[in-house]
Amino acid sequence: MTATTALIADDEPLLRERLRTHLARLWPELDIVAEARNGREAVELFDQHQPDVVFLDVHMPGMNGIDAARSIARRAQVVFVTAFEQYAVQAFDQGALDYLVKPFDEGRLADTVARLRERLAGSPASAPPADGALDAVIDRLSTELRQRGPARAWLQWIKASVGTSVRLIPVEQVAYLRADEKYTLVVWEGGEALIRKTIRELADELDPERFAQVHRSVIVNLHQVVQVNRAPNETAEIQLKGRKEMLPVSRSFVHVFRQM
Amino acid sequence: MQRPFSLADGVVPTAARAPDPVVRRAGQWRGAVRGVIVLPMSAVAPLSAASSLLAALTLRRVMVAIVLAVSVAAALNPLFVTPFVVLLGRTLVIAMVLLLVFIAAGLWKQPWLPAWLVRVLAVAVAAPIATFVVYLPAVGGDVSAVLAHEGRVSGFMLIAGCGLVIGPLLALAALYRERDAQAHSQMLQFELEKSVLERQALDTRLQLLHAQIEPHFLFNTLANVQALVESGSPQAAMVLKSLIAYLRAAMPRLSEDQATLGTELQLVRAYLELMHMRMPDRLAFSVQVPPEIAGLKFPSMALLTLVENAVRHGIDPSEQGGRIDVGAARDGASLRVWVADTGVGMSETAAAGTGLANLRARLKGFYGDAARLDLLEQAPHGVRAELVLPVTEETR
Repeated sequence: MTATTALIADDEPLLRERLRTHLARLWPELDIVAEARNGREAVELFDQHQPDVVFLDVHMPGMNGIDAARSIARRAQVVFVTAFEQYAVQAFDQGALDYLVKPFDEGRLADTVARLRERLAGSPASAPPADGALDAVIDRLSTELRQRGPARAWLQWIKASVGTSVRLIPVEQVAYLRADEKYTLVVWEGGEALIRKTIRELADELDPERFAQVHRSVIVNLHQVVQVNRAPNETAEIQLKGRKEMLPVSRSFVHVFRQM
Repeated sequence: MQRPFSLADGVVPTAARAPDPVVRRAGQWRGAVRGVIVLPMSAVAPLSAASSLLAALTLRRVMVAIVLAVSVAAALNPLFVTPFVVLLGRTLVIAMVLLLVFIAAGLWKQPWLPAWLVRVLAVAVAAPIATFVVYLPAVGGDVSAVLAHEGRVSGFMLIAGCGLVIGPLLALAALYRERDAQAHSQMLQFELEKSVLERQALDTRLQLLHAQIEPHFLFNTLANVQALVESGSPQAAMVLKSLIAYLRAAMPRLSEDQATLGTELQLVRAYLELMHMRMPDRLAFSVQVPPEIAGLKFPSMALLTLVENAVRHGIDPSEQGGRIDVGAARDGASLRVWVADTGVGMSETAAAGTGLANLRARLKGFYGDAARLDLLEQAPHGVRAELVLPVTEETR
């Protein structure tokens, strides 16, 4: 019978080293065939070595541990190692695999080793028996990770050339955007600049909770509207915080500011 | 028109001047947008003269006028042959006329005289005229009949005299009250604004305290320290030193008075050393600041926020990693501090996180428009954050 093989994936070298040292003491027969520094390497090295056990850090640059687990889960026993304690509880509930919370002590790792040995010995084919449960954990983890970010990725920064440099303007500082021939003029708290994106593109990319198109060529930051005045022909004019200029609201967009 | 302010008076006008537009939206603007906005025009539109007159004619003022009219009538009654009811009727009418004149004079905007003087003079002039007019019905409108009758003349003199003394005095008292109420309402408004600002500052501080020592950062760092200690590495002591320096600096400190650029740089160095220990192959850094500017006052955690941002958005997501260069220079009356990284750069949709937004809010609170925080893209990739602050005072 060949020795059990393992892969360690963690972007922090000291932590890879520590896990390797402890595993060597607790499980001398375990052969650690490779160490990966990120999710992409982990998948590559997994394909190359086909180890029986994979220790995966969740938070890694590029591809994270969850995505790496997705690609290799069905072919090995996966143990997640992470500092995000909140995920651990859920993973244990599933009982499908083990979960180490950093920093862990050797006693806790010994439990993991015992569990892994049992599982590997218990199924002679050494196939992970709980595929469905693992999938459930992975799904839940990725949902959690996604919930940490915004539901849809609206534009958060506007990149504008100012002189020789490219400025990153946070959208909350933008007062309004106005079409200027092929370009768009961005006016924000710190100045104005031309960008190459069209009003149409920007209207699609900006969060509609914050920005509204009020004219064929104008998008305003709703959080900075100070006053809306009626103008002839059922149009209107808008004034924004700290700015003197009035912006046109065309007839088809006046409903955005319907009076209560 | 100036009338005594209540607390609500003090609050409403500000709300009307700078309203937060209440905009509710359903779906995207391109589709059927149901937007609702409160327009401020109606709130600031000038009230008509009649309604301002009515608004200023408070119950309190009317009551004061009635009480005085009754007292004057009672005081003069023994001197008059006229029945008390008639006398009271006359003083009541005069009191009401004077009150209306006082209020109306307040509405009259003229550039020549101070408003208070106009109001007092108006009341003084109105007192004899009103008295005279009140006497007219008694004689069927015959002016000479009033002047010919000795009793009526002395009655006129008495009532007009009382009106002349009491009217302007009361007008002055009312003006004083108005000014007092105005000052009070202004004070309330200042208090309100102050408390709003204080609350905002406190919120930011609380967020700062929550945000600083992230458990994820702490536990990952401790896991590294644990690895070093277990392996008996001589590096362990140094790393612990950095961790202690970082924790000490990042510990909740509500007083920011002591913070200097120097203390902030210690914190940043400690943080970068810890991150370098954790990802030695992915993070290189330098912190280069001329020692003579280390004593300048500096908002605590401001530079750390920028450095953490560089690690989080630039270095951490990058498989290759990169370097972070921190620097500072004094240009006359302003202090320029920068954090440049060669990481993956900021994606247009990268959530800015609360750190930078909080920092902007704090800078605005401390320095108003005198402080600037700019983020610039670096070639070929990476971000340069530049913070410019006015040099306030040197603490050493």
